[in-house]
Amino acid sequence: MTQGKLISVWLGGVLLIAGLVGILESGAADVFLEATRPDFQKISLGVAGIQNGGGPDWLGGRIEEVLKKDVKRSLVFDLVDLPSLGIKTSDIGNGKGTGSKAVFKQAAEKGVSVLVWGKAGLKEAEKDADVNMEGFVYDSGSDEVVGGKRYAGSPSVVRLMAHRFADELVFRYTGEPGIARTKIAYVAEQGKARELFVMDYDGHDARQLTADGFLNLMPQWSPDRRFLVFTAYRNRNTQDIDMIELATGKRWTLISLGGLNITPALSPDGNFLAFASSHEGNSELYRLDTRTKALQRLTVNPSGDLSPSWSPNGRELVFVSDRGGGPQLFLMGSDGSNVRRLTFDGDYNAAPVWSPRGNWIAYVCRTQKEYKLCVISPDGQKRMQLTTGPGVDDSPSWSPDGRHLVFSSTADGKSHIYMIDADGKDIERLTFEGTHNSAPSWSPAS
Amino acid sequence: MNKTLYTCGLVLVMGVALISMPGCSKKSVQSGGDSQSAQGMAKGGSSDGSRSGVGSFPDTGVQSGGGGLRGLDKNPSEERVGSGTMLAKVDPSSSAGRQDEFRAEAGLLDVFFAYDSWTISEEERQSLNRNAEWIKSNPSTLVKVEGHCDERGTSAYNLVLGEKRAKAARNYLVELGVGAQRLSVVSYGKERPSCNEHAESCYQQNRRAHLVVKTGK
Repeated sequence: MTQGKLISVWLGGVLLIAGLVGILESGAADVFLEATRPDFQKISLGVAGIQNGGGPDWLGGRIEEVLKKDVKRSLVFDLVDLPSLGIKTSDIGNGKGTGSKAVFKQAAEKGVSVLVWGKAGLKEAEKDADVNMEGFVYDSGSDEVVGGKRYAGSPSVVRLMAHRFADELVFRYTGEPGIARTKIAYVAEQGKARELFVMDYDGHDARQLTADGFLNLMPQWSPDRRFLVFTAYRNRNTQDIDMIELATGKRWTLISLGGLNITPALSPDGNFLAFASSHEGNSELYRLDTRTKALQRLTVNPSGDLSPSWSPNGRELVFVSDRGGGPQLFLMGSDGSNVRRLTFDGDYNAAPVWSPRGNWIAYVCRTQKEYKLCVISPDGQKRMQLTTGPGVDDSPSWSPDGRHLVFSSTADGKSHIYMIDADGKDIERLTFEGTHNSAPSWSPAS
Repeated sequence: MNKTLYTCGLVLVMGVALISMPGCSKKSVQSGGDSQSAQGMAKGGSSDGSRSGVGSFPDTGVQSGGGGLRGLDKNPSEERVGSGTMLAKVDPSSSAGRQDEFRAEAGLLDVFFAYDSWTISEEERQSLNRNAEWIKSNPSTLVKVEGHCDERGTSAYNLVLGEKRAKAARNYLVELGVGAQRLSVVSYGKERPSCNEHAESCYQQNRRAHLVVKTGK
């Protein structure tokens, strides 16, 4: 063995140990698993069905459908179709008999890493009906049933049970909490008004949050998911920044300095609010210390500065400025220092959002007169266009796992909300109702 | 708790009133339009210290991670799944929009802009000349200049663009001798289009400064 090899083996060992210690010490949230790389090997997973545990026939099927879509959207798993591999899923039973042993063996031989199955039933209780769900996981690597979950709740939470189980699967195999229980805030047109709504990440269960009959625009989540900050026109004459508490619907004004007060963004630790305001003349960026209320002006420029987005470590901001003519992306320290231009392609780049992993900034780029989604690395070295075709794409927002973006687009005529993988593949339309849905904002993971 | 919030709300409403009143007189001093930031620069670029116009902030930092997931278990105990929502119910009829005190006026013409632009063309100056005459001959009115954009571009940048258009129109009216204290501006960006087709004929109508009036005291 040469010295070079020895060093690399030694280094590898140190890195492996350091990695393990890191995982053990930091807990789930900090595990860095780059599942957006093109060579990322997904874990093959098959769903062997959610059997009827007493109750209506549709119940198991519905849970299975939601679970499968969650597994697919996780981008961590490769959802395999078990029957097409010749695996008789009904033999799995309760996962303990000889039939299930045979299914496990088949799955392992066909290269299926994870098998999932379960049972769901509905009981009429004294007050409300009660749904029970069980889900179990077989891991072919260790050749054992590694565990399961049991949930109970009202029929209204059936989808949430499936989402929760999907997130447990992602957590088991990546240490990350998964995105199946995240939500998307957005703006929906109601007559001539625009009101805030929140829906599940898959477009289901939309609920209205505001009802003031005028304009409520561009919501952004607080880091703890309890609040939204957004632009409102309280008296129709000035644009203020409001906050609403989701659990109670209580709403109040945060920023009413006069003039245009728009594009609020709370820092990852919740200690600062960055926003654009024109109360001193033209649109400039400000940073408010949410504890002391100290207001610091970050930009000094006769042009328009807006749309700040925080880096995940809270040390930098990416923002839009038209100081060079058309809008372009700029970076600066979160105290306004060290301003430098990031984008040089095209004459219109706007609405930047920093990915939760820090490695990409998504934004709206104008190419061939169309407004499309682009991503650029914070060092400006890598750039990629994610969407093509006609229509105005706007307001990109990252999923907390950094593997997806949600955005609005007029590609199908009216403005609707879509989800896209961070590599530009697999666009999924999320909204189908209404005349105009826009400004989606993806919640942090719970 | 409720009482505190109610008091906060009252203080806020009063705060808004206090800010919006001197806001008018402040605007009358400024006439530089898009180069008004010269005033901000003279201040030194930062304005530290707590101030009015800022509401109360709750702690929004993340208290705990883990996402409420407990991991798989060989003998799982039952987990109760909550109502599936953290959202309060909103009664859409409870807070119907207040009527805008400003109204459209047949004597006032819209001012139209080119794509991406907030420059007022020679032709559009004619419309503003006529508007200035109307405003001067109706001295008891207050005028709000709304800035609008077409649907192309981002919501956020169009709000800034709409403000530039509204201020360009406002500044030209001031140049023509309209008292600045009678003029206010607001930007609606691309959020209140007058026309909803995806066509240039429609975009043209939406790129505008729209003047609305109310009777002042």
